[in-house]
Amino acid sequence: MSVTSDKRAPGVRISDLSVVYRTGAGELPAVRGVDLELEPGTITGVVGESGSGKSTLALSMLNAVQPPGRIRSGSVEIDGLGDVVTLGGDDLRKTRGRHVGYVFQAAQNSLNPLKTVGKQLLDLGRSHDVDDLPGLVKEARSLLDRMGLDGARVLDSYQHELSGGMRQRVGIMLALVLNAHVVVLDEPTTALDMITQATILRIIREVHEERGLTTLVITHDLGVVAEIADRLAVMYGGRLVEQGPTREVLGAPKHPYTQGLLQAIPRLVGDIDEARALPGRPPTLGTIPPDGCVFRERCAVRMDVCETGEPPVLTIGPRVVACHTAAGDGEQKETVTTGPTRGEEQA
Amino acid sequence: MITGKGITKTFRQRGGMLGAREVPALRGVDFSIEKGGAVSFIGESGCGKTTLGRILAGLESYDSGEIVIDGVPMSSLRPKQRQPHFRRVQLIHQDPYSALNPARTIHQTLDAPLTLRAKQTGRSRSWIDERAEELLGLVGLDPGYVLPRYPHQLSGGMRQRVVIARALTVDPDMLVADEATSMIDVSLRLGILGLLKDLRDRLGVSVLFITHDVATARYIGLDGELYVIYRGQVVERGPVETVISDPVHPYTQSLLSAIPVLHGLEVPGAERVVPTEAIDAAQPDAGCLFAARCPFRTERCTSELPVLGHDGGTLQEHACFHPQRRSVVATPAVAS
Repeated sequence: MSVTSDKRAPGVRISDLSVVYRTGAGELPAVRGVDLELEPGTITGVVGESGSGKSTLALSMLNAVQPPGRIRSGSVEIDGLGDVVTLGGDDLRKTRGRHVGYVFQAAQNSLNPLKTVGKQLLDLGRSHDVDDLPGLVKEARSLLDRMGLDGARVLDSYQHELSGGMRQRVGIMLALVLNAHVVVLDEPTTALDMITQATILRIIREVHEERGLTTLVITHDLGVVAEIADRLAVMYGGRLVEQGPTREVLGAPKHPYTQGLLQAIPRLVGDIDEARALPGRPPTLGTIPPDGCVFRERCAVRMDVCETGEPPVLTIGPRVVACHTAAGDGEQKETVTTGPTRGEEQA
Repeated sequence: MITGKGITKTFRQRGGMLGAREVPALRGVDFSIEKGGAVSFIGESGCGKTTLGRILAGLESYDSGEIVIDGVPMSSLRPKQRQPHFRRVQLIHQDPYSALNPARTIHQTLDAPLTLRAKQTGRSRSWIDERAEELLGLVGLDPGYVLPRYPHQLSGGMRQRVVIARALTVDPDMLVADEATSMIDVSLRLGILGLLKDLRDRLGVSVLFITHDVATARYIGLDGELYVIYRGQVVERGPVETVISDPVHPYTQSLLSAIPVLHGLEVPGAERVVPTEAIDAAQPDAGCLFAARCPFRTERCTSELPVLGHDGGTLQEHACFHPQRRSVVATPAVAS
C-alpha cells in the first residue's frame, strides 16, 4: 500500500455549474447554478431522487457529460490540476483515473464480461502509459486484499464469477489503483443487500482515511450518507437546496424538501403515523419550472414569492440553504462559501 | 387463508466437470397468512424469500410440502385445476416499468384482464370501464389523467400503483409484493406502503411483502408478522414490532445492525452485532446454518440443527440454541 498523508488530498471547488441537455423542447438544465466545495480529506454525500441531477453532477467532475448534454457554464477546480471543464483530449483522458477515480454502480455491470479483472487492469495501465505493470498488479492485489478479498483470485476472475459486493470492491480498486486522490462513487451500494452494504460503507470510510482521499458519494439513500459522509448536500430539480455538516442537517433540516424527505423515510423506530410521503412527484427534465423555486409544487410552506423569485442562497455558519422561508435566518451572499467544518468533529 | 407446510425447493445448477451442483433454496418452510393479514419476509439476496413468494403465486414448482388455499390442498388437484386457485394470488414486481407493456396505454392494460373478468361473471361492457376507473381511484390515481397515458408518461410511484390496480382486476385474495418499493423514489415510498395497508383494510386483501429493507415492513401494518429467512430456513418469526425491537436470533440482529443510522436523528443501538459478509453456500450443512458467521456460536451450534420454537420463553419463534435479546436498533436521539 502506498504511503499516504492527508496533505495529498486535494480540495475541489464546483462553482456555478450548469449542465444542459438538448431536447426537442430546447436546451433544458439538469444541473443549475451548483456551488459545492469538497474540503480536502472529507467525504461529501450528494442526495437526490431520480431526475435531481445528481448523476449529471458526478459526471461533471470528470468532464464526462455525454451529448446531447453539455456543461454550459461554471467550473470544477481541483487542486493541482486546475479547471477540469477546460481540459480536453489527452489531458482529460489522463486526468480520469490518474487524478479522479470513478466508481460506477455494480448493478450496471461496468466490467467487461469477456475479460478477466486482471486483463482489464492491464488495459487500464497501458492506456495510462504505466511502465511498471507488475507493480500495478501488485498494488491492485494489495488493495483487494485490504478490502477483504483474495486479490490473486479476483484478478483471475470474470465478472460473472464475482458477487455484487465483490464487483463493487473491484470498482473501488480500479478507481484507486492509479493513485487518484479524488474519488467519485455513484450509488455505491444500490442493489446490494443490507449486510454487504454495511461492509462496503465501512471499507469506503477506511480506505478514504488510509489513502487520504477527497471523496464524493452520490446516492438516493439518505441512510448511506448519514453513515459515512462528513458533509451532506441535498439536490432537487437540478438545484442544490441545502448543504451542511451531515449530523446538523439531519438533526435540524432547514429546507422544506429535506424536512419532507426525512419524514418520508421508513424508519425502524418511532410512530409510523408521523411518517408521510411527500405529495406530488419529483420533476423531470421537462417539468422543472424555469422560474422561482423548483420545489414549490410539493412544498407545504410555499408563499407567493416562490412562484417567481429565485430562492436566496443563505449561508448560516457551516450550513447553506436555498429557500425563501429561511430568509432572515442568516446572511445572504452572492457566492457560497463553506466553513472548514467536518461532521465527525461536530459530533 | 393460505398456508404452506414444510415447503422445500432445490435448484440444480448444471455444473462443470464435477457435474450438477444442488442449491437448496427452501428447507422445509411453514407459512400461514390470514385473510387481510400481512406477512413480511426479510433476508439477504439468495435466502429464498423470492422463491417462496413465487411458489405461493403458483409461478414456481416445489419439491415437497403442501400449500392449502382456503382449505383446499393443492396436492389434491391436477395442475390445470390449481390455476384458478393460484390466480387469487397476484405478484407485484420490483420494477413497475418492465411490468407494464410500454406500447399500451393504461386503459388498454386494464381493459384486457377486465374483459376476461366480465366474460367470466357475465357483465356488460360498461362495467369494464366503470371498474377500471374504480380500481384506479382505489389505488389513489386520477382515472381521467392516467387512462389515456403510456407507462413512460407516469412517475415510478404512479406506475407501481397501476401495476397494483391491474393485479386487483382479478379480485385476488393475496398480493405478493416482491421488493415493490425499492425502485420507487424515497419521497414516494411511503405512499405505496400506505396503499398496501389501505387495501388490506378496505378490501380484506392479504399482503405478502418481500424485502431486504426491514423498516418498510412496519408500514404495511403493525399487526403483521415478520419472517426472517436465512439460507432457505426461517430463523425467526413473530409480530413485526417484537422482532424489530427485541430480536433474539444473531442473524436478525446482524441484519438490523447493518441498517444505516441517521446520525443526528438517531443513536446507534448499544449492542450492535458487527455483521460479517455472506460466505459461499457450498459449505457443509451440519449444525446451525448461520454458525459459520455467528459471533456467539458454541460447540453445539456446529453439530446440531436448531428448529423453530419458543425456547427460552420468547414471544417470537426462533431457531437458535442461545436466544438473547440485544438492543441493536438505533433509537431516536434526544432533541438538544
